Amino acid sequence: MSLARSRPRRLVAAAAVVSATTLLTACAGSGGTTAAEDTSDASGEVSSDTEGTVRILMEEVPDTDIVQDLLPQFNEAYPDITIDIESLTFDQMRDKLVASFQSSEPAYDLIVVDNPWMVDFANAGFLAPLDSRIESTPDYEPDDFFDPLVDITTVDDTRYGVPFYNYALGYIYREDLYEEAGLGEPTTLDELVSNVQALKDGDRAGIAMQPQRGYKIFEEWANWLFAAGGSIYDQDGNVTLDTPEAARALEAYIEAYETAAPPNSLNWAFDEAQRSVASDGAASMVGYNWNLPTLNDPTGPAGDLAGSFKLAPMPGGKQVLGSWSWAIPANSDSPDAAWAFVSWITSKDVEVERVKAGGASIRESALEDESVLAEGFGEDYYAAVEQILSDAAPLTNGASGEEMIQAVGTELNEAVAGSKSVADALAAAQEAAERIQE
Amino acid sequence: MLAPLLAVLAVAVGFPLVYAIYLSVTDYRLTDQGAPNFVGAQNFIDAFANGAFWNSFLTTGTYVVVSVGLELLIGLAIALSLQKQKWFRDATRAFLLAPMFITPIAVGLTFRFLLNDQIGAIPAILDTFGISYNFFGPGKALFTLALIDVWQWTPFMVLLLLAGLESIPKPPLEAAKVDGASAWYRFRRIVLPMLSPILVVAILLRALDALRVFEYVFATTRGGPGTETQTLQYFMYQTGIQFFRLASASAMAFIVLLVVLGLVVLTFRRIERSKA
Repeated sequence: MSLARSRPRRLVAAAAVVSATTLLTACAGSGGTTAAEDTSDASGEVSSDTEGTVRILMEEVPDTDIVQDLLPQFNEAYPDITIDIESLTFDQMRDKLVASFQSSEPAYDLIVVDNPWMVDFANAGFLAPLDSRIESTPDYEPDDFFDPLVDITTVDDTRYGVPFYNYALGYIYREDLYEEAGLGEPTTLDELVSNVQALKDGDRAGIAMQPQRGYKIFEEWANWLFAAGGSIYDQDGNVTLDTPEAARALEAYIEAYETAAPPNSLNWAFDEAQRSVASDGAASMVGYNWNLPTLNDPTGPAGDLAGSFKLAPMPGGKQVLGSWSWAIPANSDSPDAAWAFVSWITSKDVEVERVKAGGASIRESALEDESVLAEGFGEDYYAAVEQILSDAAPLTNGASGEEMIQAVGTELNEAVAGSKSVADALAAAQEAAERIQE
Repeated sequence: MLAPLLAVLAVAVGFPLVYAIYLSVTDYRLTDQGAPNFVGAQNFIDAFANGAFWNSFLTTGTYVVVSVGLELLIGLAIALSLQKQKWFRDATRAFLLAPMFITPIAVGLTFRFLLNDQIGAIPAILDTFGISYNFFGPGKALFTLALIDVWQWTPFMVLLLLAGLESIPKPPLEAAKVDGASAWYRFRRIVLPMLSPILVVAILLRALDALRVFEYVFATTRGGPGTETQTLQYFMYQTGIQFFRLASASAMAFIVLLVVLGLVVLTFRRIERSKA
């Protein structure tokens, strides 16, 4: 935790100072960076005898473990490059990452960037542009990356990252319960609502929802917005949250919450929803596409229910996209070695290995690879993932993405809690998003 | 002898404070490079005009009053009982203090699932009586967080009050008993007045600690429903760290610091006056 709350202290004065200055102490960064080397025309072709150490800051997630497992193979191709991965929890990683940008000495040579940060980090000059490296890397085939993932890495027509893994959402449901109820996959928002209402059976909810204030509710509800034909931004980049489609989506979301979700689940986030479907507490959820293998794993959390879960694109075909991208800090000490690693780990061949090991896909070709289809988690699953990644959009496209997401998510939560009307909540969400990203 | 202590204080407390004062009068963001621009008192003006900031002040104040009030009442009752305990005194006290030694984030996560309607033990027990209660629902979430605080920190109150009770001299109590004073009269007219300095310190320490509530909010509600549990620390954490606006957060933190210091000074003055 970045703001650890310590136990009561004997000295009252000290406690008073500490209580209000926990944050202040964190404010005392060193400030300033050395001028970054201009790498805008750097080559993507890195010799296999390149030497160096690549210090990477990553999040503690399964995809990082998969990357760790692939390192011996990388060192067969680049024996003189040492990869030094430091993995931390999300909050620790973000705090350390931002602090490293302020350091006069480069702290990391390669980082992973969450999509809401991309515009802020690129505009701040923290990230090295990668266009020339991407275009000049032999046999790299960057057009194979899913377009929505590449769009996230692109700021003002310059690519500052390369996709690492996706966290696009989809509709995860119990196939056996759908069959019992004689229902088909929902193709419209109305069908989604009526299906989850029909699936509610005694203590088992029709859908485990995630209306927790902030990121979670916005991430979930935006899928309903897309299903209602709405969008977060129009083609000119203007926020479009106060629209008839958004109102319909929020009304449908609230109706589903009140009639088909587990009772008293207003603060539920991902953990609770996944536990609920895994323990037969709910028939479906809107979840990350790569949750399906976990739920269908006989040794996983669903136990005897493993194998009965299926993934489908959201009704209407469009869903929310989250993505982590590899990026090279502008103050990286070993940009060439860092690119050698990035271009290797995201290459077509290694991507196949990564996806077979359970990594979340970034390339279209991997989802059609015969060995992936044969050895992975089933053809149906990869077909659904390919559909999902082909039509997906992030929650934010502009600067101050985190703040915009939190503000909108607060208003949506107010509407679900009943403390604001749908119209008032959406008007406030629109106003907040416009003000934050003006 | 004072010089080394002052030097340590200057470095450990003074430098971050001075640097934070500097940040609070700039437009510094964590995503800025180079020297920030001087904006004078603008961040303070913005903070004073920010309804969400004052709303989080009110939320935190309510949380402090509810949690510390309950801790005081329950803590005093337990301390009075323990004072009269004859057997297994040490074991009982060690057991009672256990919640204090768990890290608050773990306590928050534990209660998040303990109060979960589908898998939590407490809703399951309530369900057997036909009661359905939304612990994190509108109008209830803040009090649920205060009760979590009560669970974890009442033992601290017990510890202080027990020490206070055991330091009260026996002769006045025995004399009152001989004179036929009732137990309630002895408690109200002898025990409470003699315990009052300890009570003030205990309340102050707990209030200052409760003012910094962050982990329970982070683990359970993230400030929701709406902004009902958006406490000061969570609000400033979001502003400064999550949204990168360190200058704004520094100004807010300074306002909080001044308010807290003002309350502490007033309390100490009151203690001094009562001694005189």
